[in-house]
Amino acid sequence: MNNINTSRFLRFPLRRYNAVLAAALLLITFSSCKKALLEEPKSLSVGTFYNTAAEVEAAANAIYLPYHGGSNNYAEYFMLLESFSDYCVGRNTYITTYSGLSATNINRAGGTWTMFYLSIRNANLVIANAPNGKNISQADIDKFVGEAKFMRAFNYFQLVKNWGGVPLHIETNITVTDVKRSTAAEVYELIISDLLNAEKNLPDMAAVSGRPSKWSAKTLLTDVYLQTGNFAGARDKAGEVISSKKYSLVPISTTDDFQKIYGPDVITTPEEVFYMKYTRQTGLGNYYVMFVNHPANKFHGAGGFFILYTLSTTSYFKNWDNNDKRKGLWYEINLGLGPNTMQNKKFIDPLGPSSTGAGNDHPWYRYADVLMMYAEATSRLGGPTPAAMEALNQVHRRAYGYSPLVPAPIDFNMADYNASNFLDLVIKEYGYEFQIEGKRWTQLVRTGKAPAVILAEKGQTIIQKHYLWPIPVSELNFNKALDPIKDQNPGY
Amino acid sequence: MRFNVLRSRCNYIALTFLLFSLLATQLKAQDRASLVKGVVQNNSNEPLPGVSVIIRNTNTNFTSGTSTDSSGMFTFSRVSSGGPYSFTFSTVGYKSQTSSGYNIKEGITLSLAIKMAATSASLDQVVVVGYGTQRKKDLTGAISVVKGEDINSYPSNNVLQALSGRAPGVQVIQNNGSPGGNVSVRIRGTNSVQGSNEPLYVVDGFPLSGNPSQLLNNRDIESMQILKDASATAIYGSRGANGVIIITTKRGKSGATRVDIETNYSIQSVTKKLELMNAREYATLYNEGAVNDGVPPRFTEADIASFGEKGTDWQDLVFRKAPMSNTSMNISGGNEKTQFSVAGSVFMQQGIIKESDYNRYSIRANINHDISEKLNVTLGTTLTNIKSNRKNSGGGNRGGTLISGIISAPPLLKPYKEDGTFTVLGTSPYPFIATVMINPLNFIYEQSDILRANTILTNAALIYKPTPDLTIRISGGIENTDDRTDMYTTTKFLNSQGVASVRSSQFRSLLSENTITYNKTFDKNRISALGGFTYQNFHNTYIEGSGSGFISDINQTYELQAARTAGIPVSSYVNSTLISYLGRLNYSYDDRILATVSFRSDGASKYTEGNKWGYFPSGALAWRVSREKFFRNISAISDLKLRVGWGYTGSQAIDPYATLNQLISSKTVFGDALYTAYAPGTRLPGDLKWETTETKDIGFDLELLGNRLTITADYYIKTTRDLLNVVALPSSMGFTSTIQNVGMIENKGFELGIDADVMKRAFNWNINANISFNRNKVLKLYSGQDILGGAIGVTAVQDNANILREGRPIGQFYGYVEDGYTDKGKIKYKDLNRDGVITNVDKTYIGDPNPDFIYGFTSSMSYKNFNFSFFIQGVQGNDLYNVSAINNTLDYGLGLNMPREVFTNHWSPSNLNPKYPQFAQNSTTLASNRFVEDGSFLRLKNIQLSYNMNVEKLGVKWLRNLQIYASGQNLLTLTKYSWWDPEVNSRGGPNSTAQGFDYYSYPNYKSITFGIQAGL
Repeated sequence: MNNINTSRFLRFPLRRYNAVLAAALLLITFSSCKKALLEEPKSLSVGTFYNTAAEVEAAANAIYLPYHGGSNNYAEYFMLLESFSDYCVGRNTYITTYSGLSATNINRAGGTWTMFYLSIRNANLVIANAPNGKNISQADIDKFVGEAKFMRAFNYFQLVKNWGGVPLHIETNITVTDVKRSTAAEVYELIISDLLNAEKNLPDMAAVSGRPSKWSAKTLLTDVYLQTGNFAGARDKAGEVISSKKYSLVPISTTDDFQKIYGPDVITTPEEVFYMKYTRQTGLGNYYVMFVNHPANKFHGAGGFFILYTLSTTSYFKNWDNNDKRKGLWYEINLGLGPNTMQNKKFIDPLGPSSTGAGNDHPWYRYADVLMMYAEATSRLGGPTPAAMEALNQVHRRAYGYSPLVPAPIDFNMADYNASNFLDLVIKEYGYEFQIEGKRWTQLVRTGKAPAVILAEKGQTIIQKHYLWPIPVSELNFNKALDPIKDQNPGY
Repeated sequence: MRFNVLRSRCNYIALTFLLFSLLATQLKAQDRASLVKGVVQNNSNEPLPGVSVIIRNTNTNFTSGTSTDSSGMFTFSRVSSGGPYSFTFSTVGYKSQTSSGYNIKEGITLSLAIKMAATSASLDQVVVVGYGTQRKKDLTGAISVVKGEDINSYPSNNVLQALSGRAPGVQVIQNNGSPGGNVSVRIRGTNSVQGSNEPLYVVDGFPLSGNPSQLLNNRDIESMQILKDASATAIYGSRGANGVIIITTKRGKSGATRVDIETNYSIQSVTKKLELMNAREYATLYNEGAVNDGVPPRFTEADIASFGEKGTDWQDLVFRKAPMSNTSMNISGGNEKTQFSVAGSVFMQQGIIKESDYNRYSIRANINHDISEKLNVTLGTTLTNIKSNRKNSGGGNRGGTLISGIISAPPLLKPYKEDGTFTVLGTSPYPFIATVMINPLNFIYEQSDILRANTILTNAALIYKPTPDLTIRISGGIENTDDRTDMYTTTKFLNSQGVASVRSSQFRSLLSENTITYNKTFDKNRISALGGFTYQNFHNTYIEGSGSGFISDINQTYELQAARTAGIPVSSYVNSTLISYLGRLNYSYDDRILATVSFRSDGASKYTEGNKWGYFPSGALAWRVSREKFFRNISAISDLKLRVGWGYTGSQAIDPYATLNQLISSKTVFGDALYTAYAPGTRLPGDLKWETTETKDIGFDLELLGNRLTITADYYIKTTRDLLNVVALPSSMGFTSTIQNVGMIENKGFELGIDADVMKRAFNWNINANISFNRNKVLKLYSGQDILGGAIGVTAVQDNANILREGRPIGQFYGYVEDGYTDKGKIKYKDLNRDGVITNVDKTYIGDPNPDFIYGFTSSMSYKNFNFSFFIQGVQGNDLYNVSAINNTLDYGLGLNMPREVFTNHWSPSNLNPKYPQFAQNSTTLASNRFVEDGSFLRLKNIQLSYNMNVEKLGVKWLRNLQIYASGQNLLTLTKYSWWDPEVNSRGGPNSTAQGFDYYSYPNYKSITFGIQAGL
């Protein structure tokens, strides 16, 4: 048919249209049927992926996705934790009476549950599929499985701290719908075994900041041991990190120098142990920055919700040495909430292009965490040691603008502290060092100091149900292995 | 394996076509016998196309039939000599007639010239049905016809809007009032939760993938046929469940070339302004609030005095009187062999919100050409260009969007600062004002959202009639839409460094459609059989670029590379195919008993292997009782037809690739760089099959008093099975949902249409009315699980406002019930389960967005050269959920402006039973029945007076007719609804089950129009 000359075709005598008709029919009916109903998307499919190192790396990258993109959940996670802290007040719906989560906050907590489990699913996909890769070395398999196990442990750690025992989805039951609730001990068992694997298989130095190294694994293990009361384990793991000399505190001389640690343009620092990384791009920036800023002062290019604030009348603030450069991060601002209102300028990005576009990374574990956890673990084992005091002092010196490693006039002295008041000192210093980083509430709870501190600072009594968040309805309604009454956390 | 079966099926069909072609060649080879030729005209000498001509030899009983072509010509080419022959002519709107006594001699051509007299009988109308036409009296299904003149009767920016109130069973819901805004159409209720509930639109035989509102100008339309029951729509198989709207565009007729020109000009304004507080009332109320909250007063007496009485009227600043015009020209004509119609139109609408507009330019051509007596070629093609500047920033809360800002902006703040820049509302001297509130002028002048689109629909067919009984139609068509959306937020916009994005999508649908129709009449039996094979392929691609951080606003979206931060480019690809076999048999005995059986099988690439094919049968029976002998004496009834029909139709409720376990790429960050990540989505793919709807319909068509009164009534039950629905999974799986075939929904209803010629002399008066009742019920859901929907997120209230529950209608509003006020003036809620606390188990049914009935009423009177008509449309018994009122009547303490009623009627010790609670910030607001309002309305859609100039008297020979008119649209609305307009559906969309929400949407307009229409 193709050899019909076009010009001849046009002059075709009309009476010979039958041939045209037949040709048209043939053309239409034969050309259209082949393979027409097969679906051939221009996208990758689960069944043919996870074969090369590049593919497995891309799958491992997905473990971090729930902490990025359109999801607000990680920001709300910090917001919930910070609004429970002694030094902060959450405005509006974040306000708390320590008597359990409000309806809105139950939804927010439910959202974070979904986020942690999405990250866990993506980790499980790597752990399950990477070992079957057709074109990947054993070393790469071990590395990425180690990374996935680190992140799985990281996520389960958030879950177990806030919900207690939870259903365990691991690489062997990814698509199983109904999974019973494990005990907290079983969850910790998985976390520790994952982290020991990660510690063994992760590289000494991560390929790029934001991926875990074996030192990140040791740091997370320190936190897990501290949480589970294995203080010797915590001290030893933190000690290994400290003595590796891989990390150091970034020196500062003014309050504004803190931007060298938290600022939007910082790519990495010697202090970074494990951060969630953000960049100044819509959907890939740090949404949390919106919650802590006010539009009036342009600390965030996209304005701000100014949810977290403190009052200059709190004992946290009043008892704070004015020479401590960290104190200067709080500044007075009129939020329309009466006098003495203060906000914190630790996380600011004046060039943030949109609410999800601030470039500030989120420091889950800084070297200061390692030092402070070392100090806390040691104090729980019977009192300060010179090494513990030095760890605490390094953090303290830096805050005053001194070189972290050189003894300074503001140093705390061993002679003044015993096991009990040293722990109090660690807790106080912890509150100053990690302000608005989302770590305070967990520390107050694990040290058992929460009731006294919250009562003293906010005049509130913590009701028992406040310590564990409710299993979300998005789980209870659809997981038939859970009993909605018996498996729910007390009080909900 | 499946694949092989399929291919052999394709080959089989191909073979069938080949055989027909060969047969055709054979027939052609025969010798010609005597020829009978003729032309059929009406009394004004205009040729009548489509007239059925039956030749009958009264001696031999030989019978054959044909129909006239577009120039009124007909031919019988092989007539054996002898006779006597008789010829019977029949067509729509004309009295049938028979000429007899012709003898034919061998080799001599007999020529006939026939004049037919018009009748007013609507029964002879030809109605376009799926893949063919039928006489109205032969119909067995529920089909409504809306004429072009009704669609054109008043200016509207959308063809679908013009359908509103015109046909029983058809609900047209305007989502908002924006120029080019979307319209939802529901025929006999909502069937699907997951899939689209919009009907299938077929334009000149081409099934569109969306709706034609962007493609067609109202004046291009000759008629619209609405196919409602399964016996009519099952021929469209998997796309028939929501009804089918067949649109026929204007075609040329042979004869003198005609030019029709029409232009009109309208002035639009917002249907109603909200009565908001003025500056003094605002300040006074917020001072009262400060007392209640125990904080110092917001304003001093001196402040209040300085604001003056009125302050800034933000509605006046944003709304305007806006022009709309539509100008079109249609040139049509042709000769015996070739007819054409060429139309061009320019539609320009400025929106009632400043800077918004919608402009549509379109050119359409239809050509018909007879290559020979047996072979005909047709072409229809339309190109439409759209440019629209949209100001649709709606939703949000506390004045954070344009629409929300219009209502919320404080009247005591001036729009501009002294330096000419916009006042920043949130950081004004009054820090209690919500920081999220944005001066609405930002959206008007510093943000743009421009859509440009080219849509092409082109469709050609080769029609071959080897014998008078047999028609083979081979057609192909292309629907193509390329659009580009440019969005830019300038650096002057509040807290912006300049954000630009360009999005472009390319859509193409290819259609190949091949049908054979066979018509035969023997004695009193008439059959019409249809068989066909169709193939349609849909191809979508999309690309998006963006950037933020610009040093100048000059570039806008036209130099993305100037952005400080480039956004991540996005592109996508979707391809799907639908292959179908269809067949239909119509049988009529003595015009008394009519039967239709149809069948379609659809193969869709979207479904999994083994589930790709769906089968959709239907059948219908009609009995024209009035043709029975016992009925002859009842002279008042000129026609009575009883109809009953049944059938299965389907819905393509899933997207392509929905059953595949695909990986989705995204970006994450390490270091300061982006890394690609691949992971499955959160929806676990399932093995899915077709969602099918079974429809049963029973109805009658009645003509009384010599056709002056026509009544059509239908009762139907539609049951949708294997309802595709999202099934939630435990969130610990990481997958949060999957789609499964679960659930069942039922729609049943009654609809009635009446057309009456009340007066028919010098004074003409025609009335047309219709009313429809539909009841919707969810029969079954996945393990009886409720599905919560209609999410509301306005900070003050975060909740789900509707529920899908077994035994209840779709979209049922669900919330708390109020119980007066506490002695402190706070709202009390009913503790329905009496457990002492208000929790989500205290929620109940608080309203229903589904109307009890919908109706339309048209009256048209003419006397001499004057014509006066009006059109009323209404909806009764539906509720609206006023989401806008949550912020703007109950969210106290953040400086939002509110309706004056809040000021005049709120709780105070001296007003214990007010509409609104104590004005204090510290209040709990729940999604309660307070926000559910009666959405019923009766609206004078159009009222028009027109005058036809007496052209002959004027002595203008080149003018055929000239009409001038003045009309008004939406001038009168009777409703109890408190907000801007009851015609609103903010969450409307093809598969939305969140109906009846008013959530800061672009308000509706009313207009006054002047127009002129001329024919040359």
